[in-house]
Amino acid sequence: MKKVEPTGPAPLLEVNDLTVSFAARAGTTTVVHGISFSVERNQTVGIVGESGSGKSMTSLAIMGLLPAKSSTTGGIKLQGEEILGASERHLRKLRGEKMAMVFQDPLSSLNPYYTVGMQIAEAYKAHRGGSMRAAKLVAADAMGRVGITDAKRRVDHYPHQFSGGMRQRIMIAMAMCCEPDLLIADEPTTALDVTVQAQILELMAQLQDESGTGMVFITHDLAVVSQVSQHVLVMNKGRVVESGSTEEIFSNPQDVYTQALLDAIPRIDDPIRALKKVDTGLVNDK
Amino acid sequence: MITYLIRRVLAAVGVLALVALLTYWIFFALSADPAVMICGKTCSPERIDQIRATLGVDQPFMTQFFTFIGGIFAGRTYGTGANAIECAAPCLGFSFQTNQSVLEMIGDRMPVSITIAVGAAILWLLIGVSAGVLSAVKQGTWWDKAAMMVALSGISLPNYFIALVLQYVLVVELQILPFPSTPAFGDDPMFWFKSYLMPWTVLAFGYASMYARLTRTNMIDTLGENFIRTARAKGLGSGLVLGRHALRPSLTPIVTLFGMDFAGLLGGALITETVFGLNGVGKLTSDAISKNDQPVIMGVTLMAALFVIVANIIVDVLYTTLDPRVRTKVA
Repeated sequence: MKKVEPTGPAPLLEVNDLTVSFAARAGTTTVVHGISFSVERNQTVGIVGESGSGKSMTSLAIMGLLPAKSSTTGGIKLQGEEILGASERHLRKLRGEKMAMVFQDPLSSLNPYYTVGMQIAEAYKAHRGGSMRAAKLVAADAMGRVGITDAKRRVDHYPHQFSGGMRQRIMIAMAMCCEPDLLIADEPTTALDVTVQAQILELMAQLQDESGTGMVFITHDLAVVSQVSQHVLVMNKGRVVESGSTEEIFSNPQDVYTQALLDAIPRIDDPIRALKKVDTGLVNDK
Repeated sequence: MITYLIRRVLAAVGVLALVALLTYWIFFALSADPAVMICGKTCSPERIDQIRATLGVDQPFMTQFFTFIGGIFAGRTYGTGANAIECAAPCLGFSFQTNQSVLEMIGDRMPVSITIAVGAAILWLLIGVSAGVLSAVKQGTWWDKAAMMVALSGISLPNYFIALVLQYVLVVELQILPFPSTPAFGDDPMFWFKSYLMPWTVLAFGYASMYARLTRTNMIDTLGENFIRTARAKGLGSGLVLGRHALRPSLTPIVTLFGMDFAGLLGGALITETVFGLNGVGKLTSDAISKNDQPVIMGVTLMAALFVIVANIIVDVLYTTLDPRVRTKVA
């Protein structure tokens, strides 16, 4: 397993030997086993793995949004500052302002009782202050930037009045409204159909180009990760089994699990064969 | 919206008509002959026939029923000639016991029932909802456990038991409160408040318990929603996360329940009023039932049904403002 070498003096995000475990009556269950990686500005790091591999737990740990029953060890540095174990008050200032998150299911991630404009505006207002009215103007602007036409009118619409793709655009507008340095996208396109998925990926790439935001892109979809990221971590059962540049991983996978994952992708140029099953047991619990 | 309202009102009229028909059928067609009851034990058959004719109970069931309904909308006349008694619309008839107009009887008792219902509702909403919210936020703590224990006892203990215990402790032993009665507010507001305090508390206890448990469950469900995680990820403080994002979805279902419960109480708090001997609509109902005073029973049943149906419509209309998803469907 290769370690990610930091390229600058203080990377945007540096995760070091992060371990997340949950205490239960039957004993502790560790869901993330000592993973390390770093993200630079303007870089996208993809984290791939199947359900339960610990991808989402890793992202929630970075945001400091893990449930209270969990315990986390290791280190998470944002722009050189240790944020693991920081006070809730301090984390609150960082969330939305320095680091933001886009979630998998945009419908359930938006509050059905409030207009989307208000929900974007309150994110802006929480960090930049000012009146709700001024924040609403920022919200309309942010919605326009993520490609929602007629944004001035649509700020006053409710989440259920938008399509799935539009909702995810709103989530992205909300995450980007304070121009965060780090964006964590947890399966942002999984709930969308393929054409909409392509539009959203394009939008995120475009926003990254404009703002230089560093991105952690979590997905189970290898095709997506090969498109968006420069660097890939493959996770299985809470461990990083392989990491490296996207090119390396896809052209020359070293780990058996990565090989199996890549091999399971049906290919258009191959003769028709049964889909392969990925044996999760390929990685032993050490 | 307008068509929706019209549809709802039409449906409500249908339900009311059905309630009226069923109640009329149960009490007039199946129970004892009112003429015999009015006439007393020593009564000639001719006298009974005469009373029957005056009351109109010698007519077939459907004729009686439509005369009754007609009385509500157009008024009716009991008897003929010199003995005729006019009853103006909306006519609910006269009590067999006191010969008073049923409408007037209900009107006389309404203020007491309204006072009891409003006071209790304020108490149970304040206490029930805030206890529920606190329990959800402090889930698993001693506060949560204690509050839910009290709520469970509030649901399980019968009203009249709590009423009697409170009356014994607060009125007889400690003498903090006067015996519950129904004084006028203007005479002595403090005495008015103290007289009503116990009925309010007793009535509110059961409801508050139910509301606390329901609010707690709703709130815990809402706190587990993805949009709460989003709100926290935006960097909102816990005040905004709870007060703005969690509270509103948790309380919307409570509005429905409250509409029904409150409307039900306007039709009389039967047990509380009876236990404390307060002359509200509930006491009127229980007295009427025990004395088989059919017109009064008819009147209070229709009134109670009307309240519940109207409350139902109000709640549904209110829901369109409370839940934007419903608004889109109705509009």
